[in-house]
Amino acid sequence: MRSAPGWDLIRRASALVPKDRRDRWRREWEAETAYAWQCANRGGPASPWKRLSLYLRVMTCVIDALVERKETMTMSGLFNDVRLALRSLLRRPGFTGVAVLTVALGIGANTAVFTLVDGVLLRPLPFEDPDELLSLEHLGRDGQDELPMSAGLYVLYRDQARTLESVALHNQTAGNLMAEGQPERVIGQSVTPSFFRVLGVEAALGRTFTDEEGLPDATPVVILGDGLWRNQFGADPRVIGSSLELSGTSRVVVGVMPPDFGFPDRQPRFWVPLTIDDAQAPLASFFAGGVARIADGQSAAAVDAELQGMMGRLDELFPESPAARFLMDVDIRARIQPLKQALVGDVSTTLWILLGTVGFVLLIACANVANLLLLRAEGRQRELALRVAVGAGRGRVLRSFMSESLVLAGTGALLGLAVAFLAVRVTAAFIPSDLPRMAEIGMDLRVLGFTGSIAGLCAIFFGFFPLLRYGADDLAGQLRDGGGRGATGGRERHRLRNGLVVAQVALALVLLVGSGLMFRSFLALRSVDPGFEKDGVLTARVIVSPGEVPGWEETAAFFRQLRQRLAEQPGVLGAGMVTAIPLGQGFSFGGIALEDHPRGPEELPIFAAQLLAGPGYFEAMGIGVLEGRGFQAGDGADGERVAVISRSFAEQWWPDSSPIGRGVAGGPNSDWYRIVGVVDDIRQQGLSEPVQGTVYLPIVTEGGGQFNVARGLDVVIRTSGDPRAFVPVLRRELQALNPRIPLSNPRTMAEVFDASTARTSFTMGVLGAASGIALLLGLVGIYGVISYVVSQRTREIGVRMALGATAPSVRSMVVRQGLILAAGGVGVGLVAALALSRVMGTLLFGVQATDPVTYGAVAGALVAVATLASWVPALRAAGVDPSQALRAE
Amino acid sequence: MDPYLGFCVPGAMGRLFSLTYPTAAVLLAIRAGHRYGFDVMDVTGLPDGTVYPILRRLERRGVLTGAWEDEERARAEQRPPRRYYRLTPLGEESLVEVMDRFPALVRVFEPGAEPA
Repeated sequence: MRSAPGWDLIRRASALVPKDRRDRWRREWEAETAYAWQCANRGGPASPWKRLSLYLRVMTCVIDALVERKETMTMSGLFNDVRLALRSLLRRPGFTGVAVLTVALGIGANTAVFTLVDGVLLRPLPFEDPDELLSLEHLGRDGQDELPMSAGLYVLYRDQARTLESVALHNQTAGNLMAEGQPERVIGQSVTPSFFRVLGVEAALGRTFTDEEGLPDATPVVILGDGLWRNQFGADPRVIGSSLELSGTSRVVVGVMPPDFGFPDRQPRFWVPLTIDDAQAPLASFFAGGVARIADGQSAAAVDAELQGMMGRLDELFPESPAARFLMDVDIRARIQPLKQALVGDVSTTLWILLGTVGFVLLIACANVANLLLLRAEGRQRELALRVAVGAGRGRVLRSFMSESLVLAGTGALLGLAVAFLAVRVTAAFIPSDLPRMAEIGMDLRVLGFTGSIAGLCAIFFGFFPLLRYGADDLAGQLRDGGGRGATGGRERHRLRNGLVVAQVALALVLLVGSGLMFRSFLALRSVDPGFEKDGVLTARVIVSPGEVPGWEETAAFFRQLRQRLAEQPGVLGAGMVTAIPLGQGFSFGGIALEDHPRGPEELPIFAAQLLAGPGYFEAMGIGVLEGRGFQAGDGADGERVAVISRSFAEQWWPDSSPIGRGVAGGPNSDWYRIVGVVDDIRQQGLSEPVQGTVYLPIVTEGGGQFNVARGLDVVIRTSGDPRAFVPVLRRELQALNPRIPLSNPRTMAEVFDASTARTSFTMGVLGAASGIALLLGLVGIYGVISYVVSQRTREIGVRMALGATAPSVRSMVVRQGLILAAGGVGVGLVAALALSRVMGTLLFGVQATDPVTYGAVAGALVAVATLASWVPALRAAGVDPSQALRAE
Repeated sequence: MDPYLGFCVPGAMGRLFSLTYPTAAVLLAIRAGHRYGFDVMDVTGLPDGTVYPILRRLERRGVLTGAWEDEERARAEQRPPRRYYRLTPLGEESLVEVMDRFPALVRVFEPGAEPA
C-alpha cells in the first residue's frame, strides 16, 4: 500500500490535525487511499492518468487537515471568546472603528518612536564587545574648551596607558576621485592602523592596515568601503592589489570593508592610514577623534584615573615641550566616555522625551477606549444580567470583557504597525541629518516585540476598568441594580469615567505645554540674528589637493582666478572665500597672542575662533564691517599681514579704545598681524551657541621664503536671483579652471540656517503632532462623557424644565459640568507639567521651562476646547421636551 | 459563511449548519448509499477538497455519524478498514428541508423520489 500515491503526504498532513483526532483522521485517509489504489490496479497496473488523479485527490487531505485544525481551535475556550468578541464588536462598527483607530494611533506612534530609540540608543554598537570601547576626548579650562585627540597624546596613551588595550585615531577626510570622466568628491576617513583592531572588525575582502602602513614614507594604501568598491570597481573580487587614484595620489587597494561598517557613521567610503611620526607627534594640536579598548580586567574608572594622572604629569613626561606646559596651564583633563554614549550624545534626551510624549498619547488613547468600553458595558447591562441569570459564571462575563479588550488592542496593534511603518518612512525625511546611527534605524523583531507588549498592556489597561466596575462578587446584584436610572444617574457610577477624563485632560495639558515650549524655542531660535544675511547666498566647498595643484603659488592663483571669474558672472553681486562658513563645522579654535596684552605667568592663554578669509567674503556673506575695512587683495603679503576681528573680541580686549592697528598673532611663534577692521559677530557654531570672539586672518600669507594658503575653502557668492540657480555656473567655472577639481556640498545659506534649527523643529514637529492628537482625544473624551451624562439625565432635565428651568440655564448647567472636569484636568496637568519641566530644560532655547505665558495659554486653550466639547450636548439638553422626557422610561 | 447563520432544523436545538448546495449534495449522496468519503466525492462531483470538511462538520453537529467497517472483510481484501457515514435521526429530519430546497438535486440521486 505504501506505493499508493500521496501516502507520505497523508502522514505529513496528519501533523496538522489536533492530537486527539490525528490517529482516526490518518486511518481514514489511508484506508480510502488504499482502497482507491486497489480499485485502480484491478485488471493490470494503474495507468499514469489514474495514478495522477488519485494523487490529486489525496492532496486535498491537506485542506481537510487545515480545516480540522481551525475548527478545533475556534471551538476551544479563548478562541471562542475572541470570536464572540469579534462578532459583538463588528455589530457596532462605529464604536469599534473609533476605538481601533484610537489604539492604532497610540500604538503606531509608540512603535515609530521606539524604532528610533531602539536604533539609536538601545541596540549595541555593531562592533566586537562594544562595552569595552571608550571614546577619548579632552577638556580644557574647566570644560570651556572641548579638545579631541592630538597625535602626541595618542602616542602617549598607546605606549604608556596600561589600562588600555589599544588606542586609535580617526579623522574625516575627503578625496577627489575621477568617476566616469567627472571629478567627484568622496568622503573618507584617515585612521591609525589600530582603528580596525580597536573596533574588532575585519575586512570583507583583503585585509586592514598593518602598523607599518601608518609610518611616514610607507607605500600609499587604501581600504575601500563596500559602496565605493561596487561603484568604482563593479564589485570585482580581484580588486586587491590594484591601484586607485585619490586626489592625484595613486594608492594600492589592500582591502574592502563589509557593507554596514562605519564609525562614527557610515559616511566614509574609503580609509587611508593616518601617518604619525612618533618622534615629532605634536602634543597640543587637537585634530582627531579617539577610540580605545579597555584592557582585560580593567574598567572605565581605572582608565580615567590613569589618564588624569598622566595629564597632571605632562611636564614630567615631556620636560622639553612648551606644549606640555601650555596644556597644563589650561588644566587639560581627559574625558572618558563609553563609546555609545559619546556617539549618541545629547540626542538621548530628545529621544527619551519623544518616547515619553508618545507614551502619554497612548495613555490618553487607552483612557479614551476604557471610557468607551465603560459606556458600552453600561449599555450592555441588561444583556449581561440576562447571561448571569441563565447561569453564565462571573468569570465567563469578565472574560468576555477581557476578550473584547484583547481584540481591540490586537487589531489596533496590527493597524498601528502599518501606521508606524509609514511614520518611520515619512519622518526619515525630516530627521535631522546630525542624528547619530541613522543608518541603523529599522523595524525588526525587537520592535515587533515592543509593539506586542504594549498592545498587551493596552488590553489589560482598558479591560481593567470594566472589571473594576463589574468585578465585585455580587455581579448579578450589581447588574440588576446598576441598570436602574435614578433621577440623577448616580454620582458613584460616573466617578470612574470622570477620573479618566480628568487624567486625559491632564496628560494632554502636559503635552501641550511641552510642544508650546518647543514652539517658543523654535521661534526664539529663528529670531536669533545669525550675524549674516542668509538670503541670496550660495556656498560650496572646493578642495585643492597637492596631487592636482602641487605648488602653493598655483593654489593661491587658482582660488584668486576662481573668485574673479565668479564675481564677473552676471547676477553675482559678490564672491568671497573662507575656511568655514557660519553655522558649520571645521573652524579652528585655539590660543592666540595679543601684542599689547602679554600673558602674565598666572594668566590662562587667550582662546578665540580662528578663520581664514579672503577678499570679498564679508560683503558676500553680508557680515557688517563696523570699523576699518574687510580683506583686500594682497593682505597676506610680507610686511602687510593684516587681521580682522569680531565685535565681541574687540569689546573684550579693547573696551574703551579702537583695536585698529593693534597686533594679534595666531600662536606663540607666529608673526604679528595688524588689525585693520572690526566686523559684526556671527554665530559660528550654531544658533543656540554663544557668540565666540573671532579672529580672521588672510587666506594667503607669504614672506620669509614661506608661502601659505588654505587648500580647502568654502566659496561664497551673493546673487541677485535664486542662489540655487547658480550651482551650474559655479560648477562650470570650476571645470573651466581645472576639470579635475570637484565641487562639493553646494548649499544656500538659507538651507544651512534651516539645517541648524532642524533638531528643534523636528522635536517641535513630533511634540506638536502628539499634542494635537492628545487634544483631539481629550476633546472626544469630554464630549463622550458629557453627552452620555446628558442622555442619562434627560428625565431629570425634563423635570427641571417642567418646573420652570430655562434653556440657557440648562445649557450652562451642562457646560459647567464639562468645565469642572476640564478644570480638574488642567489643575492636575499644571502640577504634572511643572514637575516634568526640568526634563525639557536642555531642549529649550530662549524660554524658561516654567514660562508662565505658555502654561497660561495652554490652560486657556484646553478650557476653551472643553467648553466647545460640552456645548453640543448642552444644546441637546436645552432642546429636551419636558413632556416627552417624562413619558420616556 | 457563518455556520451559525444557516437554517434552523425543525425540532433541533438552535441552528446547526448552513444548508448550501454542497452540504445538501453530501447528505443526499449518503442517503443514497454512498457512504465512504471517496465515494461521496465521486458521485457528487464536488471539488475533492470540500467534501471531507463538510462530512466532519456534519458529524460534529450530530447530523451524521461515522463508524469503521468490518475488520474481517477488510483483512480479506488486504486493506485497512474504511470509515463510513450514516445519517442520524437528526440528519433524516434535516433531509426534509433539503428536499424542499433542492428538489432538482434530489432527482439526481434518487430518480422518481419525491419529498414526503
